[in-house]
Amino acid sequence: MSQTIALILDAYRDLNSRKMFWIVLILSTMVAASFAALRLTPDGFKIFFWHLHSTVLNSRNISPGDFYKTIFLSYGINFWLTWLATVLALISTASLFPDFLAGGAIDLYLSKPISRLRLFITKYLCGLLFVALQIGCFCGASFLVIGWCGGAWEPGIFLAIPIVVLFYSYLFCFCVLIGVWTRSTVAAVLLTLLFWVFIFGVHTTEVTLLTFKLTEEDRAANLDRQMHSTQAMLTHYQQVAATRPTTRGSEYVTMYQTQFDKERSERDEIHGGFDRPQAIFYDVKTVLPKTTETVALLERELISKAGLQHVSQVNQENEDDSQNSNVELNNRPVPMAKIRAEIRSRSVGWVVGTSVGFEVVVLGLAAWIFCRRDY
Amino acid sequence: MRPAADGYVIDLQNVTKIYRRRVHALQGVSMQVRRGEIFGLLGPNGAGKSTLVKIMVTVVRPTSARGMILGHPIGHKPTLARVGYLPENHRFPKYLTGRQVIEFFSALANMNRPTRQRRASELLDLVGMTEWANTKISQYSKGMLQRVGLAQALGANPDLIILDEPTDGVDPGGRRDIRQVLLRLREQGATVFINSHLLSELESVCDRVAILVGGKVARQGSVDEMTIAKQCYCLELESPAWPAVAGALAGVFDPTAAPVPGRPVRGSLADKTWCEFDGAILRVGKTDPASVQPIIDALRKANLVIRAMQLVRPSLEDLFFEAVTDPTTGRTTPPGARPPPLPRNA
Repeated sequence: MSQTIALILDAYRDLNSRKMFWIVLILSTMVAASFAALRLTPDGFKIFFWHLHSTVLNSRNISPGDFYKTIFLSYGINFWLTWLATVLALISTASLFPDFLAGGAIDLYLSKPISRLRLFITKYLCGLLFVALQIGCFCGASFLVIGWCGGAWEPGIFLAIPIVVLFYSYLFCFCVLIGVWTRSTVAAVLLTLLFWVFIFGVHTTEVTLLTFKLTEEDRAANLDRQMHSTQAMLTHYQQVAATRPTTRGSEYVTMYQTQFDKERSERDEIHGGFDRPQAIFYDVKTVLPKTTETVALLERELISKAGLQHVSQVNQENEDDSQNSNVELNNRPVPMAKIRAEIRSRSVGWVVGTSVGFEVVVLGLAAWIFCRRDY
Repeated sequence: MRPAADGYVIDLQNVTKIYRRRVHALQGVSMQVRRGEIFGLLGPNGAGKSTLVKIMVTVVRPTSARGMILGHPIGHKPTLARVGYLPENHRFPKYLTGRQVIEFFSALANMNRPTRQRRASELLDLVGMTEWANTKISQYSKGMLQRVGLAQALGANPDLIILDEPTDGVDPGGRRDIRQVLLRLREQGATVFINSHLLSELESVCDRVAILVGGKVARQGSVDEMTIAKQCYCLELESPAWPAVAGALAGVFDPTAAPVPGRPVRGSLADKTWCEFDGAILRVGKTDPASVQPIIDALRKANLVIRAMQLVRPSLEDLFFEAVTDPTTGRTTPPGARPPPLPRNA
């Protein structure tokens, strides 16, 4: 036990000595504190002393508590913690293993009565401690700002700590593997960022293909409905034209027949060509860590825990309405609600389970290299 | 201290290490270190000294090895709580102070907090670093780092202390201090294993030494045993021309090979005692003055003038160079580990 405590204390001293740790910590606190610079007024909002008029963002439409919580979610989590702070944290922690493995340093640790695997795991967890402290400070500052300025004391925001640490651990395990393998900090940072871009690319491609697929399916269903209705009209006017030849029934028959033929030819063009590529990318994504979805889980949980359902619902309805009318793919409306529902239908077990599975495999490989290598 | 089997603290048998299936760093090294002695490991660069030390402290895994460290098989992790180690070119975390270095590595050796705090103060005093105890080691000189490194190795009050180049970068005063610390440790019953290039340092403190060449033990034994065995009489001649000496010693000295300019002429006497002529010096492998008289008579009979004669005991450096010099070519072993043996049909 004294060995583990000594290693944790050493990790803390190490972090404490790093300038980047303090820079990120101060920046995180400043980002949270900057929320306090925003204030809602009955006819708009204030940034420091500047008053901006708004018919949407004002205290009559949204309560201060919901306003600050939404800002925390939209900018604090989705922008700061999952992008900028993560890149800074990667830069700070990437050197942890290469420095540890440097000649003359690792010898001192390995010559002690502590197993290599335990050393590796403790060091890895100490790396995550860095991120946990950063997020803890950010959440603490946000909690105070939302409480003091918004009047809503919301402990649910501390859920960001385990979820963002989990998200970070997907990238950090890869960073550790590269660090252990190459013993180079630069290689570890660059390849991890590249890997992050890669999984983001796979995610974006899969969602794009899913959008195409569901738009096509939506279009096919619409055409089926239209064809059914046109068929009914055609049958009706054929009967009319047969029984009462003097009426304009035959003209309608010709018109509906043309419409039906057009709809059938359009329907025949839909072959479900996106199904297979989407399925392939989905499978690829299954074995990779799901960073975007993991952070989305936090959003989902926070919305329910922080009582933001109504804000979220209004936002989504607005989004859906506007997007359904504006977003088009090949001149066809995109079923945004359906796509969102499809993505949300993916279980927490799939999102977290497969990502943690990836992490275990990558960490296992890094631990194997660490334990087997001669230094 | 728990006694090790046969009184050996280190008992290595046939330790082999092949890196990446190509580099034969150690080729069947066997070595014994007794309890309470200071043992020196010598060898040229690339001889495998550091590899051997790293195998003992589990930093490197041997390709094959039998043997015990403190009565337990090599690689037994709990035993390392009783082993102190100072690596060559060590890199302590720069954010720690001298005191924190000693306490941190003592904690990793499973020492409890009050004991390690007390021990750190004692050791800082022992190595003369009390004044600098609370200064970050990033501000230390090389010599100060070595002193703290030595204190770190002694942190857990080990039975076996393994030091890799402990006096590297230390000034003469510091070297003397370290030497005294080592001698004091021996008095207290600890065993010290030193890997160093400074032969004079080793000669002054080591009880026994081993010389490693090309991954094999070339010599092993006590400094006295090895040097006494190589004692000889040196006769300094006035006219060092080989033909004159050869003429004088005809029938007494039998050269093993034809003389080559610039190299000593080696051979043996009638009673198989080794003999060597190197420029102006004739060395005879005898320690009894009476047995050298026939040679003196032969030289004098040929009117060769003998300027001086003395019994010489070789230094550790002489033994080292003898071990690392190829007797056929007269060249020292090139640095680096041995390549793998060539296949028979190559």
